[in-house]
Amino acid sequence: MSSDRILNFAIRFGFLILLAGLVLYFSVFANGFASPRSAVFILQSVAITGILALGVTCTLVVDGFDLSIGSVATSALMLSAYAMVVLELSAGMAILMCLLMGAGVGLVNGLLIVKFKVPDLLATLGMMFLLIGLQRIPTQGNSIATGMALPDGSTAEGSFSPAFLWFGRERLDLVLENLLPVPVVVFLVIAVAIWVFLDFTRHGRLMYAIGSNQKAAALVGAPVSRNKIAAYMISGVMASIGGILLAARLGRGDIASGTNLLLDSVAAALIGFAVLGAARPNAFGTAIGALFVGILLQGLTMMNAPYYTQDFVKGAVLVIALVFTFYLSSRRGAGAG
Amino acid sequence: MMRRTLLRLSGAALAVLPALPAAAEMPAPFDAPGEVKIALVRYLSTGDFFQSYLAGVEAQSEALGLDLRVLDSRQDAALQADMVDQAIALGVDGIIIQHGLTESMKEAAQRAVEAGIEVVAFDVDVENDAIPQIEQSDYLLGKLALDQAMADHGDAFTAGYVYVPGIAPLDRRDVAWKEVKEANPGITEAAQFGTLDNPIANSVANQARSVLQANPTIEVMFAPYDEFAKGVKIAVDEAGLSQDIDIYSADISTADIAAMREPDSAWVATVATNPAVVGEVSVRTLAMMLAGEEVEASVVVPPTLITQSLLNEEDIKNIEELGAKMPQFRHADVSMTDWMPLPPR
Repeated sequence: MSSDRILNFAIRFGFLILLAGLVLYFSVFANGFASPRSAVFILQSVAITGILALGVTCTLVVDGFDLSIGSVATSALMLSAYAMVVLELSAGMAILMCLLMGAGVGLVNGLLIVKFKVPDLLATLGMMFLLIGLQRIPTQGNSIATGMALPDGSTAEGSFSPAFLWFGRERLDLVLENLLPVPVVVFLVIAVAIWVFLDFTRHGRLMYAIGSNQKAAALVGAPVSRNKIAAYMISGVMASIGGILLAARLGRGDIASGTNLLLDSVAAALIGFAVLGAARPNAFGTAIGALFVGILLQGLTMMNAPYYTQDFVKGAVLVIALVFTFYLSSRRGAGAG
Repeated sequence: MMRRTLLRLSGAALAVLPALPAAAEMPAPFDAPGEVKIALVRYLSTGDFFQSYLAGVEAQSEALGLDLRVLDSRQDAALQADMVDQAIALGVDGIIIQHGLTESMKEAAQRAVEAGIEVVAFDVDVENDAIPQIEQSDYLLGKLALDQAMADHGDAFTAGYVYVPGIAPLDRRDVAWKEVKEANPGITEAAQFGTLDNPIANSVANQARSVLQANPTIEVMFAPYDEFAKGVKIAVDEAGLSQDIDIYSADISTADIAAMREPDSAWVATVATNPAVVGEVSVRTLAMMLAGEEVEASVVVPPTLITQSLLNEEDIKNIEELGAKMPQFRHADVSMTDWMPLPPR
């Protein structure tokens, strides 16, 4: 009886306790870790992968997977740079184009999976390669920056508008002056929005139902196809928002495959399974998962740990989280039954 | 693959035409334009540096009236070796090996030499006396940047260092940093960090924020790769320290020039070799060998120091203007002969 209770407690709060322990450890041993500014830049370092991870979470909820988010993000990065620097469009237009591109990619992913019955991993894998190539075609593989030479011999005259850069660089006053970066605000707003959507709206619950048993959901009349496509479209839009924030922070259109963005955000979403013993994709867990990885990496960097130990630690956290999710939760299930 | 080769072929054939008039004064085999075939066998191709290098190779080949074929293995070491054999089968007269691994390329390069083909190698050591090495001196890139840091800050300062071991050019730049640290005990390395997770600038910015927070005494950041420098600059700006920290780096691009010229930019100097010039030198060295002239075993393209104040004084906004205002950046007087035609400037 009491061992059951300990197990339950460990499953529910183990990860959060680990997180608190980590914060305590770094506060004592890493110089400068315990300050509001540190807290903010840790949030900033996870904001972009966190937003992508929230998108992935939506596809995981419908029992799908989206491998294309990383390349959607870098495509949005290139597209926004192209729109402003080469086509000399306004910030609003650039953002609109990126969001439409993200939604469009999500729609195609969804249609491939639902209508053409392509398995989700394969469809989004194809999309990933397609986008990595596509984003480089307009500039022939070059990064985009003001003053770059164009294929017709002229130079690009446009520039990133201040309104656009505001999204990546502005810091709002909160208690301290210039404390809170806009990407963090965007991340928090999206996290709450996705959490409310998945847990408290009819659509969100329908998505969970489809994810746990698609046939049953279809038999009771749920629009399975439409909800699945919607999940991929949310994922695409989230990824393009991540790309916009990335572009605004970098201030140029960098060539990048986005593979690391993909891996980091998937890791965050999977770690999220373990938070509060949910054992399923959930928005709150994903946000905590992203934060967990961010705290670890920033703390280790402050202690001068080299980059390969950081990859190792990321992997270790993921493995532990998966053990929490799959082993302990199944034992709890058995105990309760 | 087939279609791409065909496209490249037709492109190369077109490119040959404008060079016709100059051909008369050139020695054999260049007196018959379009007759000499060379192949560029690439290992790395993604990114501004490699794009620009290719542009240099294409421009110099066009000036010489060469029929250039580009074989791109996209970081597949085995495929790159196969592509050398493919080039041999195509009957090319010369091969430029661009990057790659010593282990996989050594034998393939030897086969090409045995087939009577002239070979040069850029930034890869194929351990062959018949094959000259084209290098942009990474050691000098690091050294010149650090000399500038010491000119600005004296021989005692606290530095942060961005480095990822195991990447050949970064390792060679690291040698310069180790030497300078050894020779100047007043220079302390407060932190070393770095990552190649892409987008690199974004990942490095996240790390640099932590490092700056943990080490408030840092006044110099040595980031000998422009993506690193860009990331450090983002972190310095976000921490509001752009007045207090100076960034020294290596490499340059149009985007880098813009970043260095931002008001109050912490990025004060970089050292760079123009990748297009390295491409041109690779082709010129190969051409000299084809014309039967002597070539040094190691051909080094010297780097140029580019400071923020120089960019501001000359009002330089992109790479093209940099080349126009700094002739030493646009053209390296390496592998030059009387008859060598240069690409139009």
